[in-house]
Amino acid sequence: MNSKKIFFLFLGLLFLSLHLATDLWAVQKIKIVTTTSTLANITKEIAYDKVDVYSIASPKQNIHFYAPTPRNVLKVKKAEVLVHQGLDLEAWRGPLLNAAGNPRFLGEGNFSIDVSKGISLLEVPTSLSRAEGDIHLYGNPHYVVDPENAKIMATNISEGLAKAFPQDADYFRKNAEAFNRKLDEKIKDWLGRMASYKGTPIVTYHRSWSYFVERFGFVIVGEVEPKPGIPPTAKHIAELAKVMKEKSVKVIIKESFQENSTPKKIAHETGAQVVTLAQAVGETKEARDYISMMEQNIQLLEQALSAKKGI
Amino acid sequence: MRLWSALVLSFFVCVLVCNEAHANEGALGVFRSEMETLKQMVQGLQSQVGELTSTVKSQNEVIQKQSLKIEALERVKELTPQQATAQPIPVGAPRTAGIMGFNPDIGLVGDVEAKLTQNKADEKGNNTIALKELELNLAQVVDPFSRLDAVISFNDSLENQNVSIEEGYYTRWGLPLGFLGQIGKFRSKVGKQNLLHLDQLDTVDYPLVVKDFFGEEGLASSGARLQNMIPNPWDIPIEITGEILRGNNGNSFSGISRRPIFNSHAKTYFDVSQDANVELGWTTLFGDENPPITIINSTGSAVSYTRPEGQDRYGVKVFGGDMTFNWFLPEGRKLKWQNEIYFQDRTSRTHANSRPWGFYSLLDFRLSQRFSAGVRFDYLEPLNVQGQDHHTIGISPYLVFWQSEFADFRLQYSRLDFASDREKSDNALFLKANFLIGAHKHPVQ
Repeated sequence: MNSKKIFFLFLGLLFLSLHLATDLWAVQKIKIVTTTSTLANITKEIAYDKVDVYSIASPKQNIHFYAPTPRNVLKVKKAEVLVHQGLDLEAWRGPLLNAAGNPRFLGEGNFSIDVSKGISLLEVPTSLSRAEGDIHLYGNPHYVVDPENAKIMATNISEGLAKAFPQDADYFRKNAEAFNRKLDEKIKDWLGRMASYKGTPIVTYHRSWSYFVERFGFVIVGEVEPKPGIPPTAKHIAELAKVMKEKSVKVIIKESFQENSTPKKIAHETGAQVVTLAQAVGETKEARDYISMMEQNIQLLEQALSAKKGI
Repeated sequence: MRLWSALVLSFFVCVLVCNEAHANEGALGVFRSEMETLKQMVQGLQSQVGELTSTVKSQNEVIQKQSLKIEALERVKELTPQQATAQPIPVGAPRTAGIMGFNPDIGLVGDVEAKLTQNKADEKGNNTIALKELELNLAQVVDPFSRLDAVISFNDSLENQNVSIEEGYYTRWGLPLGFLGQIGKFRSKVGKQNLLHLDQLDTVDYPLVVKDFFGEEGLASSGARLQNMIPNPWDIPIEITGEILRGNNGNSFSGISRRPIFNSHAKTYFDVSQDANVELGWTTLFGDENPPITIINSTGSAVSYTRPEGQDRYGVKVFGGDMTFNWFLPEGRKLKWQNEIYFQDRTSRTHANSRPWGFYSLLDFRLSQRFSAGVRFDYLEPLNVQGQDHHTIGISPYLVFWQSEFADFRLQYSRLDFASDREKSDNALFLKANFLIGAHKHPVQ
């Protein structure tokens, strides 16, 4: 046997032994990969110590334009369950699954949990054209910021896990119910605090707050982006400022990864206030988990609106 | 008698008084009862009023909510007539009914380039505008185990208008030990930029070293590829790729060889912080030498090399390293620093330079949603120029205007100082537009 053959045999054996060692070394927890940090948090609330959860997209980056890394590919390759937000929010999900090549997540198998099932979608397009900007095929996918939808998401995760791991079904369902009860109490509180601001006109940067607005009764009178995903133009900014003055809009909502300069410029011209809210757990320091993220969002809005009301 | 009369009279008076009192008590009882009835009636009415008030209140809330909805719908209708809120459709339902739903995803990418250059030796035209490429992308899952991707390119260059298969490969997942296999024609896993199509580059062209070693548009060849992540208990991403490619591709390799080119690529990745990461890669290629060619030496005269003994078996070895640093900054800004270096060890002299090498360093900064800017520095000791200290140096600053996610415009200036003494320095200005329609998703690199 020549030295080349010995070298390749050695490489083969090394690969095989690493493969076996990795399986033996692994802690016997269910390996779950979630596409977002919010899903990771809700999954942990439901499965606690039974799972090892890894979240793919950084909450500090725009979810639409995230570029998966080799670490993400490895994690998806090794995962037993994938939890995702469905629809076309994560445009990179398909290429990531192709790169990982984990057959568990192809098609509508038991191991791929789509949390959007059962959510009443808003802004479902009646026709598809990029003339309307970067619109979404199935409707607005930013449903996470409605806490009532978070309850549906939690139920979907628990049912998905129960289906994949029937031996722990009761455990997942019990925890999901407990999470939803906690949310019910908070929703009551949040609705109460926001009740006096019902009908308040607001402006958002991107069309990502429709579900939040629907739940708490605000009215969106415009967006900083002329159309979804299209950067603001001078003409649009002037038109928006005019509408804001007419309708006495006092708040512009944006996310942390969106630029500050345009909203600040509009705010300066109209006397409005720019409020940075979180769409994902971990996007801001205060958004440690789903409930604290929503609490922080409500609190910031409350402060901004009460200041403008002179309360 | 008088006393008796007084007593009788007193008795009658008492009886009368008692009767009167009794009568008053009865009237009082009736009055009380009436009062009680009235009280109950008032309470009943109060409760009815309460119920009516709450009904009116809740109706008001409903009316207010409906008004808000109507206002929002009217606004949406005003702004985007195409996009009024409709009834939700079942999540994930295919939008194309019937058998058409199985059609592949289709995307079309256009790439128009205008160029002003001083280089008179440029055969493609010095000052020109051309539809450089129209790429048709087709992709779909074949079955539960595999998918097919194809990129067909329509070119409108000066020399010829043609159609070429840029890529067309079949991917099979789930091979033993987690391997992923691909067969067909694909962009070879060489460094970073070679994997990208022209429209995906930060600059308007490929780096000099890639063009010189692997061809004007990099190395894309028919062949087979196996890829995997090396499993390890520490979850360090180490990706290994092995390729066997048809042997007659790339400037560095033989145009007539029947022996394949072997390529191997390894890469790893680590997070420097929550917002920054580094990717490191290593490429090794083995292939046959090119057939004899005519070259220009350092004195400017043409020299032809003829090798009587035929091709050298795997006489060309190309080694390369790449490093990419990404730093994600607040407000959607991003800084990328990418470097690739390649050098060759050639056992023969079919090309003038037996030890060609080169590198590029690219700095790209996404300033905002609308603009990005960057610069690429190229250094190359090319294949076809003899002698020490003969190198081509290029510097290419550029600015990109992102009209949207689907259309962008690039302005690039390039200054080239050539290795050959015969060629004068060149200043070139490029304006390039990229636009795409349909479904187009870039693979994870």
